[in-house]
Amino acid sequence: MDGLISFANSVGAILTSWSALDVVWATLLGIIVGMLPGLTATLGVALLTTLTFKMEADQAILILICMYVGAIYGGSRSAILLNIPGTPANAATALDGFPLARAGKAGSAMAVATTGSVFGGMIGMVALAVIAPVLAEFALSFGAFEFFWLAVFGVLISGQLTSLDDPIKGWIAGFLGLFVATIGQEGIYAVPRFSYGSTDLAGGIGLLPAMVGAFGLAEILTVMRQEAFEAVRSKADSVWAGIREAYKYKFTAIRSGLIGTLMGLIPGVGEDMGSWASYAAARQSSKNKDEFGKGSVEGLLAAESGNNAAVPGALIPVLTLAVPGSAPAAVLLAAMVIHGIRPGPLIMIESPGFVYSVVAMVFLATIAMGVLGLLLTRPLVLVLKVTRERLMPIIFVLCTVGAFAIASRTFDVWVMLFFGIFGFILRELKYPMAPLILGIVLGDILDKSLRRGLVLSDGDLVQFFNRPISMVLWISALLFILLTMPSVRRLLNRIFKRSTKGEAK
Amino acid sequence: MSQSSMNKADFISSIVLTVFGIGVVVESLRLPRLENLNVNSYTVPGIVPGFLGLFLALAGLAILIRSIKRGGWRIRPSIEGSLRWLGTSMVMRTAVTIVITMVYAILLFPNVPFWIATPIFIFAFVVATESMKYGGLPDRKKLLTALVLAIISGILINYVFQDLFFVRLPGG
Repeated sequence: MDGLISFANSVGAILTSWSALDVVWATLLGIIVGMLPGLTATLGVALLTTLTFKMEADQAILILICMYVGAIYGGSRSAILLNIPGTPANAATALDGFPLARAGKAGSAMAVATTGSVFGGMIGMVALAVIAPVLAEFALSFGAFEFFWLAVFGVLISGQLTSLDDPIKGWIAGFLGLFVATIGQEGIYAVPRFSYGSTDLAGGIGLLPAMVGAFGLAEILTVMRQEAFEAVRSKADSVWAGIREAYKYKFTAIRSGLIGTLMGLIPGVGEDMGSWASYAAARQSSKNKDEFGKGSVEGLLAAESGNNAAVPGALIPVLTLAVPGSAPAAVLLAAMVIHGIRPGPLIMIESPGFVYSVVAMVFLATIAMGVLGLLLTRPLVLVLKVTRERLMPIIFVLCTVGAFAIASRTFDVWVMLFFGIFGFILRELKYPMAPLILGIVLGDILDKSLRRGLVLSDGDLVQFFNRPISMVLWISALLFILLTMPSVRRLLNRIFKRSTKGEAK
Repeated sequence: MSQSSMNKADFISSIVLTVFGIGVVVESLRLPRLENLNVNSYTVPGIVPGFLGLFLALAGLAILIRSIKRGGWRIRPSIEGSLRWLGTSMVMRTAVTIVITMVYAILLFPNVPFWIATPIFIFAFVVATESMKYGGLPDRKKLLTALVLAIISGILINYVFQDLFFVRLPGG
């Protein structure tokens, strides 16, 4: 009940102040950022963090959440109209959204995407309100051993789920991120590591410049490398027909919302997997499987409900464990720390109202996204007429100034450039970016937890394995690794086939 | 990238990764162990990066073995093939983008006033990439709109960061 009152108070406080205007412009900006290929939600949130770091904490976080929600939704527009996902989270949207647009149903496809996103966002929001306080209380029992395994588990799972074809590349990306986090003065004795006399390196690699590089410059290079996309010439049909159509599949939307939230909850996995997993589940249980990929309203609805539900889902570990559920959530985590908020297991003790403020922010951002998305269907299409040759240089200027603005250090611009080029090469070699970023975030936790754990256990490794929560985490991580090995999968297949044959006899 | 090209790319990148991982292990061993401070040997600064380096070296080795099995080691570089690859529009666009962005970020941004450096960069970027797109210098109208875009963007970004958010931009 207290939570509901805090939530209502936060909604009231935002709506009766200038912050209401922030909700509108930041969500609209988020939709535009998401729509433009080459601009991702992560980059949008990172660039806005650099612009808002002198604001009050609540106002800044509100703006960033609106940008995050808007961008994940906005990516559906370019996926539907251009067959180019505006953000990686909208890749599954394009599978059915684009065929619908080609069939002259662009307007209703956009309405289905909007309805699905609102549905998903609301389900994720309820999950955030319900799960976050429980998880925070549970996380109070986490010690050095548990946090060590949480970091290992996060990097391995994120690496695996973001690189399903080749999990080892996902793990390498994650461990490279963990290594990057060890550069600079370490947190126990302040010994500079891998800095070779450079005071800049001794200060460590900033998460935000690295992210602006990996998601900004690397994306600019990827977009410029590809062939140009054609400006859209699609006439939008009725939006309202799409809403009615989406309502027919309300159960698909609810299931996708739950799957999306779960995917958001898992460290470093986020919206992309939220969308794909929801899409796969919808296809599996659909009566019209054949329509998937050819313009299925159900598929489109599932993909969009899944990715927007993952947004609040990804905020749950941010608030309760200080572990990001996705790449944009990692920026939000960094922004919270910049603004003096301390996410983690103590959040419900130190600032219980903040969790419900975040729930209220997600709620208002989702409403704004739905209203703006439906009302501005036609004007927003104009955004897609901007050519990459004219957009990308402006984005690069924002990346450069954004990287510099955080600490007024030219060194951060070098960091941005390095991660931009390095990120581009890694992407070309099919190494995912999300585990790299998660590794940078979790590196400090892993470093301190392992060393503290070793001191507490006096070098006895058994204690890392025999505590209940640690056991769950390391066994899950081990199972995940084993299941990716082709030889193990072949063996399991053989065992299952044999047992089914035995039963049949 | 085709599977065969990916195998070759994996072959080269895995060698780099393995060498890097070994380098990290060596450097971690060279980090101070703080014996003079009598610190617990389990908390020495090199322990975590050492393990990470070891993992990276082993993972690099795993990819190297896999790429060798898949024939990734059969790399026959030829000048003709390399020139053909470098001449493709895809590589040219990427190269031009890298050169122009680096010149801006490394030379112009720290040394030239922002309101001058930024319009120059935006205009140069638009003209260079549109020239490649249209197969020659864009027409006068496009050049004019690119110039207007460059000047307005430079002034606007300068105003937002410097005057609204009080960020002192470098370059005087």
